[in-house]
Amino acid sequence: MSAMAEGLPIEPAEPWLRRWKRSLLYGRNVDRSAKARARVGLAIIAFIVVYGIIALRLVMFGIVADSRSPNRVIADDAVATARPDILDRNGEILATDVRVPSLYAEPRRLIDVDEAVELLTADLPDLDATELRARLSSKKGFVWLKRDITPAQEKEIYSQGLPGIGFLNENKRDYPNGPEVSHLIGHVNIDNQGIAGMEKWLDSHGLAALHMAGLATDRLQNPVVLAVDLRVQHALRDELVKAREHFHALAAAGVVLNVKTGEIVAMVSEPDYDPNDPRQALEPSRINRLTTGVYEMGSTFKAFTVAMALDSGKVTLNSSFDARMPLRMGRFLIHDFEPQHRILTVPEIFTYSSNIGAARMALSLGTAAQQAFLKKMGQLDRLHTELPESAEPILPRRWSDLTTATIAFGHGLSVAPLQAVMGVAAIMNGGILIPPTFLKRTQQQADALGKRVIKPQTSEMMRYLMRLNVEKGTARKADVPGYYIGGKTGTADKVVNGRYSKTKVLTDFMAIMPADRPRYLLLIMLDEPKATPETHGFTTSGWNAVPTGAKVVARIAPLLGIEPRMDLPPADQLILASLKESR
Amino acid sequence: MILRIINFIVIGALVLAAAYVYRIKYEATVQAERLAKLRDEVRRERDKIALLRAEWGTLDDPARIQDLAQRFLKLKPVEATQFDTLDHLPDQPPDYMRPGSKDPIGGMIEHLEVPVDVTGSVTPPHTPNAAPAPPAALNPSGADSR
Repeated sequence: MSAMAEGLPIEPAEPWLRRWKRSLLYGRNVDRSAKARARVGLAIIAFIVVYGIIALRLVMFGIVADSRSPNRVIADDAVATARPDILDRNGEILATDVRVPSLYAEPRRLIDVDEAVELLTADLPDLDATELRARLSSKKGFVWLKRDITPAQEKEIYSQGLPGIGFLNENKRDYPNGPEVSHLIGHVNIDNQGIAGMEKWLDSHGLAALHMAGLATDRLQNPVVLAVDLRVQHALRDELVKAREHFHALAAAGVVLNVKTGEIVAMVSEPDYDPNDPRQALEPSRINRLTTGVYEMGSTFKAFTVAMALDSGKVTLNSSFDARMPLRMGRFLIHDFEPQHRILTVPEIFTYSSNIGAARMALSLGTAAQQAFLKKMGQLDRLHTELPESAEPILPRRWSDLTTATIAFGHGLSVAPLQAVMGVAAIMNGGILIPPTFLKRTQQQADALGKRVIKPQTSEMMRYLMRLNVEKGTARKADVPGYYIGGKTGTADKVVNGRYSKTKVLTDFMAIMPADRPRYLLLIMLDEPKATPETHGFTTSGWNAVPTGAKVVARIAPLLGIEPRMDLPPADQLILASLKESR
Repeated sequence: MILRIINFIVIGALVLAAAYVYRIKYEATVQAERLAKLRDEVRRERDKIALLRAEWGTLDDPARIQDLAQRFLKLKPVEATQFDTLDHLPDQPPDYMRPGSKDPIGGMIEHLEVPVDVTGSVTPPHTPNAAPAPPAALNPSGADSR
């Protein structure tokens, strides 16, 4: 190279023979040295490019190589994708993934189908031989033989050494608490995709997209924490199961709602099912009555009527309404269950649960006011929670004066019970309507979501009425000492073949605890409870839903951290007096 | 001459570099294999943990605990009357213990000079040491009064 750089210009003194050859090869007037320099330059560039590419590839391999191997590991198993764990509010496991082996076959690689069928049916007796033969004889590349086999079976089949038969480890959803939280948590299908309850909600909120991208295969996803408290849930369910047996009811349901945050701490709809065996969920009697059923709630709706009247300012606690005679509306007569035959004040209407009084109260305010109020309280629209299952309320086709009168005491408008719970919670908690949730929620989040629907004073008056109803009214059996419960009963005649039945009823009971400082709202609902000797032939709420509610409160109040307070003064001193002071 | 020395040095360096790179590459492979193995182990452990947690969840199911408790324990559900608040606790008893004393209860008993209220109609007890006085009577001056 150095010789070339120095040897410019090249000596023209060449032997003649060489000169002749050169002129033959390159032509007479060509400067060979310039050409050579250009060639060397070209060679340099070519080498730089080649080595540059090699260096670049090396760097690329260095960076990318690592991410390849784990992908291959994951592709080997985890066909049914992983789901995050679901925990209750205290961190107890409600749903988790466990790995189970599944058996598959590659029919093309199978040598002797008959032998395989024989050996496999010996190990897995519940496998259908003809179907198995059909599957193994097919020309497919891959068929599932049996999902979710035991490790012992896996070992047995593995030791037989059949070609074309293999195992994949799959994620299987496990619900350790069985039917305890069934309706709330829902369940998954064989491919670990949520098809009901919170499991479905998980899928519709990003998990499905993760699965599509093949990312949700590892266990490293953050667990989902629900608002439900497993202990409270169990206590509620246990009492409801007992109540359903005792009163021979078709169904029993209950909700515990935190009125300050809208968190659903427990929700039971009995009969329920075991999410580990989701086939049970298909039976129509096992639906979730709290969100997918709509019911006429009966007298508990009087809470809405009285709250509306008090909030309008046109009615006070001292107002009175004529309940001397049954109220005639066209062809219909509205009766009271416990007729007093006199003029009743607002607290009396509430505690005697007077249909006439409630109807007159609603009529005095008018249909438009009632519609607006119920709309505001969220009773006329479908309630959307995280649960995919929800039912639309059944509104009257024509909202006449008669409809106004009947809705005032809870007939003529069917709502999902959870919806009514939300509305009553707003009446109790100081007048803030908070959409209920199944996920854990902080007070700040709840405050941001809540909107004021009634005045705080109205709420306080309503809590006074609720407490009074336990002290003197229809819910006397709910007075668990120490917890200062307030409550409203409801008994609705069920509609059978388009007519109100005289014998089949739906009873419910809404309880606020404690009534002076509201924290939790409890709903107990019994579908067609029967009379027992202790109830003296009655099937009204005060005889079945209320005692059940009292038992539930006595069990769950300590779990919810409600401090028992003995010897509290009656409601007119404790709640009503503070109301007057604040004015 | 110098050029030749440089050439030899470069060749030597090249051989060394190649050997070094080979070693690094080999080590990296070993490490990568170890990593994959450990990852697999971690995954397996995690699966085992999940299985154990699921089992714990089953064993810890409130329904099962309730059933067991009802069968084997004499405990009953708590009632509201069984709760009390901290301000209902009696005052802390005064400290009778002398520093260095090994027998705190003995020290307390020594301190207790049972006040025997003698009125006209009550005969003083014959053996004042036999009956321990009710705790309410024991209110020495050292007790703090809140």
